[in-house]
Amino acid sequence: MSCVALLEVLDRDGSVRRSARVDTWPLRAGRALDNHLVLDDLHTAAHHFSVDIDEIGNVILTAGPSVNGLECGAQHLAAGASLVVGEQTLALTAGRTHLRLRLASHALAGEQKLLATRSLISNLGTLASLTAAALALLVFSTYLDTDSEGFVRALGTLGISALGAVLAWCGLWTLLSKIFTHQAHFGWHLRVVLTALLALQLVDAGTSLLAFSLSWPWITDFSFVLNYAIGAAMLYFHLQAVDTHKPRRLRIVAVSTVVVGVALNMWFNVQNTDRVGSELYMNHLFPPALRLAKPVDTATFMQRLLPLKATLDDQAKKADDDE
Amino acid sequence: MQIPFRRRLALTLTTLWVAACCAGSVQAAPPGKPAHPPAASALSALPAEPAASAVVSLSARKVYEQARSQLVQIRTVLKGQASQTSVGSGFFVSAQGHIITNFHVVSEAALKPERHDLVYVTADGREAPVQMLMLDVLHDLALLKVTAPPPAGTPAFDALGFRTENQPLAQGERMYSLGNPLDVGFAVIEGNYNGLVERSFYPQIFFSGSLSAGMSGGPALDQEGRVIGVNVARRVDGEQVSFLVPGTFASALLARGRNAAPLTGSAWPIVSSQIMQHQAVLTDRFIAQGWKSATHPRYKVPVPPDRFMRCWGSSEPSRTGGLDFERSDCVMDTRIFVGDFNTGTLGVRHESYDGRKLGTLRFAQRYAQSFRNENFQRLSAEQQTKPQCQEDFVDRDGLALRAVVCLRAYKKMPQLYDLSVLVATLDQTQAGVQGRFDAQGVSYASAMKLTQHYIDAYGWVVKP
Repeated sequence: MSCVALLEVLDRDGSVRRSARVDTWPLRAGRALDNHLVLDDLHTAAHHFSVDIDEIGNVILTAGPSVNGLECGAQHLAAGASLVVGEQTLALTAGRTHLRLRLASHALAGEQKLLATRSLISNLGTLASLTAAALALLVFSTYLDTDSEGFVRALGTLGISALGAVLAWCGLWTLLSKIFTHQAHFGWHLRVVLTALLALQLVDAGTSLLAFSLSWPWITDFSFVLNYAIGAAMLYFHLQAVDTHKPRRLRIVAVSTVVVGVALNMWFNVQNTDRVGSELYMNHLFPPALRLAKPVDTATFMQRLLPLKATLDDQAKKADDDE
Repeated sequence: MQIPFRRRLALTLTTLWVAACCAGSVQAAPPGKPAHPPAASALSALPAEPAASAVVSLSARKVYEQARSQLVQIRTVLKGQASQTSVGSGFFVSAQGHIITNFHVVSEAALKPERHDLVYVTADGREAPVQMLMLDVLHDLALLKVTAPPPAGTPAFDALGFRTENQPLAQGERMYSLGNPLDVGFAVIEGNYNGLVERSFYPQIFFSGSLSAGMSGGPALDQEGRVIGVNVARRVDGEQVSFLVPGTFASALLARGRNAAPLTGSAWPIVSSQIMQHQAVLTDRFIAQGWKSATHPRYKVPVPPDRFMRCWGSSEPSRTGGLDFERSDCVMDTRIFVGDFNTGTLGVRHESYDGRKLGTLRFAQRYAQSFRNENFQRLSAEQQTKPQCQEDFVDRDGLALRAVVCLRAYKKMPQLYDLSVLVATLDQTQAGVQGRFDAQGVSYASAMKLTQHYIDAYGWVVKP
């Protein structure tokens, strides 16, 4: 006997958890055991809905005696209401259970191309390059921060700490991926975190050097904006391997992270220092050859101090008025 | 800037001394808490009478008996309550009931008159209100007067007289400090005159006797019972190192304020006005004295002469192949107590770094870390605004400097500011000098003069 319809129960990630094959009409779904598809959702009725064919061959969906009714696409069916199933597969929500009704007459969607698997061994060259770059950066920053005698010991300590932190971070994301997508994606998460760490270091070094070289303190004053952007990008790419079905929502989360993070940081800065930026003064010094900005004479420098008085007096007066 | 351990210790001691000079916590009478009951109990259990007789000489007994009726305790009490918030000492200086004490003894009542009252208590336990006539914040003195005149038929107040300036004391001469230590009871402390404190911006007498909290504002007398000075402070890191305000300043305050109307309202405008005068004199004297020479083999680095500042130096060679540096730190001993904080002082320091053992990149990293490690927020947000800074590369005859100037305005003292200037030399790849100059409680014009004076002091010893 040929199959006339298929009623599928969907998981939260959109995959099919189980399905009921329909060889003859009608089809009934609900919690009662005499249904073709027995639902285990307490928010569904004993006979929640049924699907049948009428005299002229239309497939009719009818909501049963349910308190919550039935969601059919964007349409709500109250108890007893019915609709004609069209030429497209129909998404249904009964209680908290997501379902999909497919008829034999519905056109099949084309085959989707298999996405590249996010496994540890895929893009091994990229991963190796990122790991090598991160290790080089760790060695270099440890070299800068230690005296000659303490370098090896500090490198060992920092290396173990950094390795532990990265593995713990990636392990957490891998666990989330495994729960929601049934795949680990460890290699993906490792690439994401290494790329983000390298980007943060590059931004820090680059902005510091620019601020010093050109005597533009505002660059490092607001470099935290770039840090939030990198952090949000890292979050976005991590989430891509956790929730693969809602890319638009992920982008919104990432952009919101940047906006909220930057706004909160600025608010804290204003509370702490009465300034929007995060650095009271530019405190990055490099070898003299990297300085491009011309020094000013003392008289010019002194002249630039004069406007501070009005700002300070305003702040003092404002505080006095507030009291 | 880095602070090596040994230097940190020295700084602590210096700070304590400064605090002892001017801050309430270690002044002889802290505007703080009453005496601790457990201590009082412990003392009352001891056989006090024979011990006291053994310590006090015949002269001390005579001086105390003569001065007892002129001696008072000054209490700051909460309005509408009997609770005292601080106690100090004082003494009558006129038959009309004028009393001299320290400003820090009455500062709570002066700065927050809406919450505090002042009363005096005599040695025989009589208590009556007093009012403030005049303040000398710079010398930490206050002139008070009893609010109600003595009833008709009762004798006028006994007053202590001042030893005149044409009767100088010899070093080692015996003197007696009187007051009410720790609110325990009136006491006389024997000690010696040791001249004036060296390098103090305002004259102070070095008294080798043991002043205690609660004695602030009490008189220090010679053997004839004449006032030599007023108890003001002690060092907490030494033994019997105490300080007196010379009697001439108290005498002058009495002359100026004898007929003054009682102060009404908060004394912040008076305090501000006196700090304004102080900073003008301090700025002029500081600039006029110039800088020491030969402070660095390569650069001219500003280090002030040891006239009213004390400079400490230290050298810290690295034992782990790191950064070698030398440090000079100059601070004033004199600070002006203005209630909840001190001000009116200058500080100059620099560190000379040698990073040849580190190499260029490592040195740049350490040099930047050192430049970063600076704090500009000295007082709470209630007292001062947040810092406002200006920075740039500055040219000093071909020597490139990174200069940062930060200022904070006082909220209760309009037109007065704290100034901090940071300077770092930027001509070498593996060596350099970083300096910091601080001025507290200066006008904007003085801040500008001091900044220019400080930055202009940098340069080459011999231009390469």
